[in-house]
Amino acid sequence: MRSTRRSTFIIALFTLLAIALATSGCGQTATTQSAVPTQPPATVPSAATQAPQASAKLPDMGGKSITVAVENAYPPFNQIDKNTNKGVGWDYDTVTEICKRLNCSADFKQAAWDGIFPAMQAGEYDMLADGVTITVSRTKIVDFSMPYVTIGQVLLTRADETRTVDEFKADSKALIGTQLGTTNELVAKENFPTERIKSYEDFPGAVQALIAGDVDAVVIDNVTASGFMSENPGKLKIQGQLTSDEQLGFVFPKGSELKGLINSALESMKADGTLDQLNKKWGLSQ
Amino acid sequence: MDKALGTSDQTIYVPRRGSLANLPWWAIVLVLAGLAVLFLILGNQNYRETFLFLKNGIIVTLRITLFAFPIATIIGLFVGLARLSKNPVLQTISTLYIEVVRGIPLVVLILIVAYGLVPLGVELINRIGDLGMALVSTGVIGGIFTRLKLFNIRVVSTELRAIIALAIGYGAFEAEVFRAGIQSIGKGQMEAARSLGMSYFQAMRLIILPQAFRRILPPLGNDFIALLKDSSLATVLAVNELTQLTRIRRSSTFRVMEAFNVAAFLYLSMTLLLSGFVRFLERRYKIVD
Repeated sequence: MRSTRRSTFIIALFTLLAIALATSGCGQTATTQSAVPTQPPATVPSAATQAPQASAKLPDMGGKSITVAVENAYPPFNQIDKNTNKGVGWDYDTVTEICKRLNCSADFKQAAWDGIFPAMQAGEYDMLADGVTITVSRTKIVDFSMPYVTIGQVLLTRADETRTVDEFKADSKALIGTQLGTTNELVAKENFPTERIKSYEDFPGAVQALIAGDVDAVVIDNVTASGFMSENPGKLKIQGQLTSDEQLGFVFPKGSELKGLINSALESMKADGTLDQLNKKWGLSQ
Repeated sequence: MDKALGTSDQTIYVPRRGSLANLPWWAIVLVLAGLAVLFLILGNQNYRETFLFLKNGIIVTLRITLFAFPIATIIGLFVGLARLSKNPVLQTISTLYIEVVRGIPLVVLILIVAYGLVPLGVELINRIGDLGMALVSTGVIGGIFTRLKLFNIRVVSTELRAIIALAIGYGAFEAEVFRAGIQSIGKGQMEAARSLGMSYFQAMRLIILPQAFRRILPPLGNDFIALLKDSSLATVLAVNELTQLTRIRRSSTFRVMEAFNVAAFLYLSMTLLLSGFVRFLERRYKIVD
């Protein structure tokens, strides 16, 4: 009796192990497969025709694959499409277009924002595309591309909010949500007392807390605010502007060679109007 | 007395005194490592600033732990008793609770409670207020209904939600601890107590539970320490406890080692103090003298 029980136990253990191995194998193939289809489709129709002329002067990377970290929680830069369950956004379109011009292939990897800078510093990804504000303290540990857009920060509130920004500052009960480790968190701290600020892991969490009533306002980039407003129609509104001078860029590990290549592609996209088109498509500019 | 109750078969390991091998070397290593970090905190600007930033989180972490654990223990006591009860309804409900809660990862449970159950509960209270207002809108009762109608979710802060979720989660573990403890006391004792004319609950309260309590002290203490560590999961609700502040510190300075070293030092200091307290309790209530 005892021996049969033990052998059943061993068999069960091995079955578990086999399942674990099999599924981990599946997971790996699944990620590589899902990464491939995001590359080929031409997202901006006109860019496809313009690309050959512009890329004539651009360096050729010879089909090299680059890993691009995205958060998939920062509309309109990167988010998961509700219908297709795939990553979409300005970052996907722009990096794909850049890679088309440079002859490289972009391998998008989902990464958590918290801890992304040490990860970039350690070279875990070739590049980070997440609407990242260029700041002095960040340039000490990572490199930035040329700024591709200038944006501002706003105070996002529920649609029925009546308090103004100044009233928010004065109201000792008003709680302010934002995302951990962002320049929005810094601006929140400049405008509101620290004990009233709640730093969420990502902006979907902060906006959810806003809609649920856990916080009264969210400090957020204006373009991202618009992204969340179109995702939650009728529930949110922008109550006021806090800053207007944030320059966004791609992030690279310090001393990365990729920076110059990406900058040249961005430059060409700027020159032929493709960047403008993408910015308009995703609401980064009017 | 103890012999008569049949617990003398337990052997207690008594270390020989004065031998070098019997020194608690693990404690000495820990104290030295702790002193090293303390030295860094005192001597290094970065470490000192990190410590000053993180120290506010200690109170919140302790508050969550010290509120959640007694609630979890009370839940555990009653659910454990319900599980042993002969009443099929009580048994079914308690088993269901234990199996469901034990099978859900704590962080998922915290999210379910914080963003699912609590908002739902608040809405329910508001609805009751609404309905009540339709029936009685004046006087004292009307005032209560008005309060219910306007009950705000903000009253249940995210910290409180974390406490509720941790208490529910650990309640399931504690229930099993209590069940095991009660079952470890010989059946004969309950029978003897009952034949002396005690009621079931008298026998439980006066005979079984005091003995069971001594036996479950070590696992209870274990869970107390585990709960303190799991209070770090409240960071997903943006509660400003120690882990959340560590993450904020790291993301604002990009200095990983300082932030996490100080956090680990603070957590360890707290858990070691707790385990010391648990050791004291165990010695105080140990079964055989």
